Amino acid sequence: MSRTGAVIGVGALGLTLSFLILPIVGIVSRVGPLDILRQLSSKTAQDAIMVSLTTSLMAHAIILVVGTPTAYVLATRRVPARELIVSLIEMPLVLPPAVAGIGLFAAFGSQGLLGESLDVIGLRIPFTRAAVVMAIVFVASPFYIRGAMAAFATVDRGLVDVARTLGAGPWRVAARVYLPLAGGGLGAASTLAFARGLGEFGATILFAGSFPGRTETLPLAIYAEFTRDFETALAIGALLIAVSLGLLVSTKLVGRMSPHARVLHPRRWP
Amino acid sequence: MRRVGGLVVALAAVITGGCSAGGDGLTVFGAASLAEVLPTLDGSPAYQFAASDTLAVQIREGARADVFAAANERLPDELFAAGVVARPRVFATNRLVILVPTANPGRVRAIADLGRPGVRFVVAAEGVPVGDYTREAFARVGQPTLVERAASFENDARSVVAKVALGEADAGIAYATDARAAADTVSLVEMPARAQPEIRYAVAVVTAARNGDAARAFVRRLLGPDGRAALTAGGFGVP
Repeated sequence: MSRTGAVIGVGALGLTLSFLILPIVGIVSRVGPLDILRQLSSKTAQDAIMVSLTTSLMAHAIILVVGTPTAYVLATRRVPARELIVSLIEMPLVLPPAVAGIGLFAAFGSQGLLGESLDVIGLRIPFTRAAVVMAIVFVASPFYIRGAMAAFATVDRGLVDVARTLGAGPWRVAARVYLPLAGGGLGAASTLAFARGLGEFGATILFAGSFPGRTETLPLAIYAEFTRDFETALAIGALLIAVSLGLLVSTKLVGRMSPHARVLHPRRWP
Repeated sequence: MRRVGGLVVALAAVITGGCSAGGDGLTVFGAASLAEVLPTLDGSPAYQFAASDTLAVQIREGARADVFAAANERLPDELFAAGVVARPRVFATNRLVILVPTANPGRVRAIADLGRPGVRFVVAAEGVPVGDYTREAFARVGQPTLVERAASFENDARSVVAKVALGEADAGIAYATDARAAADTVSLVEMPARAQPEIRYAVAVVTAARNGDAARAFVRRLLGPDGRAALTAGGFGVP
């Protein structure tokens, strides 16, 4: 029985791995490294890299600046209806991105809830780079807030109490106890959210449209090039594979370097 | 071990069985702009409607289609040259129009209005038939760079219509037949005859069709009086 169990386990692992890895192997085997470099120097690819980089970085700055205090409050303070609030924040995790896209239209489009007020101040968001940033923030921020909450929650409350007893105010506790101790977890959550934002497709193509050099991000460029120039689509795919792999590995490394490991094992303190 | 093998085989059978649902029925890949009209001609085939260039790639990559009805002649001709489909036949014509939301907030009344500052219009991407036709139309009226002022390059005619119907775009270039399907939310601005490119839809039987006889019968019907009547009723021209 236990032998059967082991066989099932190993078999399932083999199936899982080969099913998940084969498409990636497929992409890499269809384009050589030289082809990738040549295709990536095309104008389409260069434009898409620029658009993806700028929008992802802008979105990420917003996510960090707004998401960190949000996660901090939710993880360390008594908040009424906390479960409900957290569920609402996590919603984009399970929502199809297409729903996010039409939702953004329904809220910020010309005919949307805020459309008229935005029109008054001369803002038309759909089809702009700001629309891409909003789509990314919408789908990627829960990844960061969730991870950041978990990181803040693992900080040893005993240390917080010690700091308070020694006279540290709330700002000082946040800056000198929570942030450094949760740093590794925050870094990992931040990396994951960035990776998710870089791959954003569904909400972007609906809400921001697709225009080379303005709103056509790398995933959108793959979709556009799929029928036009399959080689370029493959090369961009290979680039995103490399970046995603790098980001995932760094998430693991950053998580492992987390200083709270030292808190849990005080003897290792210098 | 044997039981595990049996389980895997059973699972595989369920999965592949699920995929070939529809059995020996006919599968027709059609241009997005044909989505309204083909089912009125024959409701029995399984239809897949998308941008013709997307469908062409799917058929080339081995998708199980019996018939390919495209919004141009180029794509079926390319597949014919590659031996993927039998000789294509032209079965319909269409014309381009400017679609605007019924209230026409951008006050678009001609192609030239699209270039006015503040007018936000969408077109289909290059390579998509309606996108290529749009570029040709702009070139015919001496404004080939107008396309660069578009807000977005959409992936098929229906996305263009949707953005206009939502009121998010002030105008969009699509087929006259698309305007009929969304008549309650969009209005139609005609383009002059000199701007019109030659829009000819071609249909072909896929060489690897599992159901060749039914596929040829479908094409015959499309080219015959029934097909011509349905196409005319749907706003298409017939060759």
